[in-house]
Amino acid sequence: MRHKQSLRAAINSRQRRLVSAFAVAGTTLALLALVPALAPSARAHHAFAAEFDSNAPVLLRGKVTRIEWINPHGWVHMLVEDAGKPPQTWAVEGGTPNTLLRAGINRDTLKIGTEIVVRGYQSKDRSCTPTCKANGRDMTFPDGQKVFMGSSGTGAPRDGSEPIEGSAR
Amino acid sequence: MSQPAAQQQLSAQWLRPCLALLMTMAIMLPAAAQYKAARTAFGDPDLQGLWSNASLTTLERQNYVTSLVVSAEQAIAIERSNNAWFETDRRPTDPGVGAPAAGGDVRGYNSFWLDRGSKLARVRGEIRTSWVIAPATGRIPYSAQARLQLRERARPSSEGPETRSLGDRCIVGYGSTSGPPMLNVLYNNNYQIVQAPGIVAIVVEMNHDARLIRIGGVHPPAHVQLWMGDSIGHWDGDTLVVETTNLHPGQSFTADVRHFLYLPPTAKVIERFTRVAPDQLLYEFSVADEAAYTQTWRGEMVMSAAKGPMYEYACHEGNHSLPNILRGARYEEGKRESATR
Repeated sequence: MRHKQSLRAAINSRQRRLVSAFAVAGTTLALLALVPALAPSARAHHAFAAEFDSNAPVLLRGKVTRIEWINPHGWVHMLVEDAGKPPQTWAVEGGTPNTLLRAGINRDTLKIGTEIVVRGYQSKDRSCTPTCKANGRDMTFPDGQKVFMGSSGTGAPRDGSEPIEGSAR
Repeated sequence: MSQPAAQQQLSAQWLRPCLALLMTMAIMLPAAAQYKAARTAFGDPDLQGLWSNASLTTLERQNYVTSLVVSAEQAIAIERSNNAWFETDRRPTDPGVGAPAAGGDVRGYNSFWLDRGSKLARVRGEIRTSWVIAPATGRIPYSAQARLQLRERARPSSEGPETRSLGDRCIVGYGSTSGPPMLNVLYNNNYQIVQAPGIVAIVVEMNHDARLIRIGGVHPPAHVQLWMGDSIGHWDGDTLVVETTNLHPGQSFTADVRHFLYLPPTAKVIERFTRVAPDQLLYEFSVADEAAYTQTWRGEMVMSAAKGPMYEYACHEGNHSLPNILRGARYEEGKRESATR
């Protein structure tokens, strides 16, 4: 209950800040439909919901065994050794490596044997043959730092200049 | 008042309006008049290079804004709100936090994989909220018939590979990244233009598709339907004008997080590419189809020079996702069958 209240307070506080920002910005913005935020959810190369089960969250801790630096999605393979359970390999899906390559991040950036933590969702296929599969919603080192990090201020590694300066006259 | 002083005042009276008129004329002059594109070795205007259309500006105007053009202050507010989740997502995760919550719209993966742009586009000196400029609503003017088509379109199923989307199957890049019209998606918004006498090639990063635009010629018969359509070009001064017809019915519905487009095989797309600065292309497009739209609709975009390099997006070769999707569907079918026995 307390968690819900604090969450609601946080949301209200964020809304207040945003409303304030938009009020400053002017009246052409429709405040009722505030902040689509365009947080890219499922749809990218393929629909998340087609491959993964949003009702099957997983927390994986283990060492990297292999990197597949391929399109349309990179895959990080890891060995998870939970106490009392036999070791299990997992393949964790990420995004397109092209964006990271342009930011100077390549398949050797994440070394084999590095310990990582993955918070994600298991695939709908639970057969774990030949390996278990999950999406890597959040991929970090044990201290919480992100495994890969883009170079731009938005966290989005960019290769080129988006149309921000000058104008098409 | 002395005569020289009166003359001076008269001059000042005329000078201001004249200057204003000149400035207005300068703004209204066509792009090509202000910048003369270099020529290729064979004499065509040179559009070659690597270009990016990454931007927060979207095909259609979003619900949160009511005008095509916003002020610099409004743009900052929009950009901040749109980029907020990126900032949040790049912060370290609390090591003590457990698995993510179950259910809902959970998102794919960390934002560092994405490259959608972080600013609204500046087109003709204006900060734009949509690529669509006509109609004035910033929305595609679908006819009642098209809206029905949109509602009743076949949703991808996991019966087999053929029933999945073109993006899942790596047939063409997802959304309308390859076009026409060529629209920005979540990442890899890169295009390389290469010219040779009589032909212009536009290589689209996803899925390293190449649009081949021949200069002159005629379209094939209507029953010939091609991925990305059949494109014929001609030069209008410094502008490459491209007419595309013969679109593939499989490409009629294209979607990204930020755009959804219905483009029937009978549609005609006219694109205009003009190099308006060494590092900028003005990309205009109009789309017509009597049945699908109540009027021809038009868009304007800018593409900016990208540093690159543009990498091969070999989609099919590494596509574990499609087999995983199909395996998941079969696994769930098996579970349901077991439960009913």
